[in-house]
Amino acid sequence: MAGTQETREQVAEITGDYKYGFSTDVEMDMAPKGLSEDIVRFISAKKDEPEWLLSWRLKAYRAWLKMDEPDWAKVNYPAIDYNDIYFYAAPKSQDKPKSLDEVDPELLRVYEKLGIPLAEQEVLAGVEGARKIAVDAVFDSVSVATTFREELKKAGVIFMSISEAVHEHPELIQKYLGTVVPQRDNYFAALNCAVFSDGTFVYIPKGVRCPMELSTYFRINAENTGQFERTLIVAEEGSYVSYLEGCTAPMRDENQLHAAVVELVALDDAEIKYSTVQNWYPGDKDGKGGIYNFVTKRALCKGKNSKVSWTQVETGSAVTWKYPSCVLAGEGSVGEFYSVAVTNNLQQADTGTKMIHMAPNTRSTIISKGISAGRSQNCYRGLVKVLSGAENVRNYTQCDSLLVSSTSGAHTVPYIEVKNPTAQIEHEATTSKISEDQLFYCQSRGLGEEEAVAMIVNGFCKEVMQHLPMEFAVEAQKLLGISLEGSVG
Amino acid sequence: MPELIKSTYRDQAASLSGTLAGLDSLRDKAIDRFAETGFPTARDENWRYSDIKRLRGQAFAAAQIQSDARIPDAICTTAARLVIINGHFDQERSDFGDLLQAISVRPLANHLMANSERANELRVGREATSVLNTALMRDGLVLVVPAGVEIDDPIEIIHIMHDAENAAAQVRHLVELGEGAKATILERFIGDDSAYWMNSVVQARVAEGAALNHYRMQMDGSQAIHTANAAVSVGAGGNYSACNVSLGASLARFDAQVRLLVDGANATIDGVALAASRQSHDMLVHVDHRMPSTNSDQVFRTVADALGKSSFQGKITVADGAQQTLADQSFKALLLDRTAEANAKPELEIFADDVKCSHGATIGELDAKAMFYLMSRGIDPTTARQMLVEAFTDDALARIDNAAIADALRNQIKGWMMAHVPNTSGKDAA
Repeated sequence: MAGTQETREQVAEITGDYKYGFSTDVEMDMAPKGLSEDIVRFISAKKDEPEWLLSWRLKAYRAWLKMDEPDWAKVNYPAIDYNDIYFYAAPKSQDKPKSLDEVDPELLRVYEKLGIPLAEQEVLAGVEGARKIAVDAVFDSVSVATTFREELKKAGVIFMSISEAVHEHPELIQKYLGTVVPQRDNYFAALNCAVFSDGTFVYIPKGVRCPMELSTYFRINAENTGQFERTLIVAEEGSYVSYLEGCTAPMRDENQLHAAVVELVALDDAEIKYSTVQNWYPGDKDGKGGIYNFVTKRALCKGKNSKVSWTQVETGSAVTWKYPSCVLAGEGSVGEFYSVAVTNNLQQADTGTKMIHMAPNTRSTIISKGISAGRSQNCYRGLVKVLSGAENVRNYTQCDSLLVSSTSGAHTVPYIEVKNPTAQIEHEATTSKISEDQLFYCQSRGLGEEEAVAMIVNGFCKEVMQHLPMEFAVEAQKLLGISLEGSVG
Repeated sequence: MPELIKSTYRDQAASLSGTLAGLDSLRDKAIDRFAETGFPTARDENWRYSDIKRLRGQAFAAAQIQSDARIPDAICTTAARLVIINGHFDQERSDFGDLLQAISVRPLANHLMANSERANELRVGREATSVLNTALMRDGLVLVVPAGVEIDDPIEIIHIMHDAENAAAQVRHLVELGEGAKATILERFIGDDSAYWMNSVVQARVAEGAALNHYRMQMDGSQAIHTANAAVSVGAGGNYSACNVSLGASLARFDAQVRLLVDGANATIDGVALAASRQSHDMLVHVDHRMPSTNSDQVFRTVADALGKSSFQGKITVADGAQQTLADQSFKALLLDRTAEANAKPELEIFADDVKCSHGATIGELDAKAMFYLMSRGIDPTTARQMLVEAFTDDALARIDNAAIADALRNQIKGWMMAHVPNTSGKDAA
């Protein structure tokens, strides 16, 4: 399936065109470069944090110093110099803005340019009759605006930046922070615990169905900075929330580090739906620049019959190291993972999930679709573990890889560990290219090669895409198109 | 790991100096490497499911020559029966049949003596057990099947461990098939109840158009540690077909590294492991597709009873440019008891696009519906369960092209089931 010269040029054009790659001049407040106890104290002081949080950070920092950077993933990148990173960068502002009118208009323009509606009456462009979405906008290290707060408050939903929550709801933060991802969980999680700057806190009270989708939009803007956000979502008994997350960064020649931690807690009968469209700057076609996306995401299905569903569309980042997981501790709880990971040019992705079945009658589903183009490497890595006390566990895993170029790699590394005979575990994986037959069929019906490939790829991903909220599905499909169109060769 | 263990093995290696022609420098290299790395731990990816505390905790002495071990009956018509007792080739008790007229079979020492350059063909190995085998190897067989020669009946190699408490046998076999040659090797491993370590390495080279069948019947003693490594390379149109049936030992590992080096090379690697009380069976396969149009297929079935553990790590690598590769792998594990455990890591690493690779893995208990079906036909629960387990393991024996060997393996599996399957109290029987 040789691509024509024209096709190749088109690819170069398209993939070279990362439309969120602009940077903005915003007056910034930065901590000195590098990491030390003083920086940790500085960040904590900047946020006027209580003593317990500072000592929590310092404990994590000390633990981090003794840990080694993981090297087991199928990714290669030059060693990160942690002393050449700004661990804190915030847009300068006098006081916390009381309303959107007080937010730096330059910042608002950034979000406008990204298509993220911060004004409450607006909805996502191009989608008629869309539902309301509350947005928390995180710019470098801080949250700059959170919309629809009043309306959410009426429903009892807490939706605010985590640094505000530390002051307004310290009891909740203290109760849940670090309970799903312990400080020493891994190298990047420990780093995040020490220096996390901001992020989102969501609390859905008992029996409440969150009246709108919640969303956080992450933007890295400043140079040489790392973004270390932290998200904590707690869904009380019988509640439901759908949460979306998006991200972009300017095109820069240096690599930038993004090490986030996301913790979800679902109590009895609660359900959390967490969707991500990850579109960090992937670097240019020669692999220069791009974001290192080293993220720890984990959900604790603590309550009976609770449910957590992760859906991710990964198209960005130079290097991805990310395993959204579910600890199924509540009887009858359900974990789901739907993922599309697309890599092109020199991108590397090592991503997958862990489903830890601790309680009886727990179920999990894993559907992973990897698409490798260019000279990229795309790896699914997953674990399904059944502990001996977990009766009647059911897991179904399907990992399919599609190779769109002869120079890319597709890898599958699933681990299955079962200590209970009543478990029913199924795992299937396939790796193949787009079949000549399918292409021929489409082309014989009058579709061009490009269209045919797009259609087949869309079909390949459909099982995952249909789990995305509608607004995101639209964006994700477009992204898929941009990442892949014409990369057949 | 205590330095004492390393230094004991170093002394053992030193005492073997000069025993095999041309091998000393390789031994030195291997023992140095072993001293560097020592035995792996559960943190080493390839060993995450094997608990080798015993290897790490004590130094095994070199097992001594024994002449009073009983040699078991043959299980099929054989071309030759070659006997290895405590790691030493016992020429007198071996039966060469007419084999020597067609092929060359000789002990490692003689092979190297004839031309010490041949020591260069030996590989140090990657895993600590293979490395130590290289450092401490004393004996083994070298089978060379010349081009075009086809040996129909299996060549049986019986490894017997007898009265070898805390002792180890380090055996190295070399198998070489010339162009268009064909041979079947049946390796049997048996032993008494002494706590010994059988560490075997087989290096095989299958030339263009040649076919090697490699069957293993592992029935080592209940206290034994069995570690085995097969390093195989296959040429154009060649075929390597292996089946490993693992029943014995307290800890058993079979690690097959198969490289498909030339267009059109094929390999099938199958296996059955039956893990009873406190047994751990670990099977590792790495099929490396280096060139286009190479095919491989794997079928593994394991059954674990109370306190038994079966693990499988199967890796398929398709190198850059190895287009038109077909690779398939199926792993299924059956758990018969609450305390049984099964682990699987079926891994694909693919750098070429025009390929079709897949793997499937399942872990579970016997299908209640199938049980019900059989019982509704008047079959008692025990027989029904045995029928299902038998059918389950049979998948992995389907490619054995020697009926007598397949039957013998089936009988062993049946025997195991008699002892273990009736004891299980699956809730499906209710």
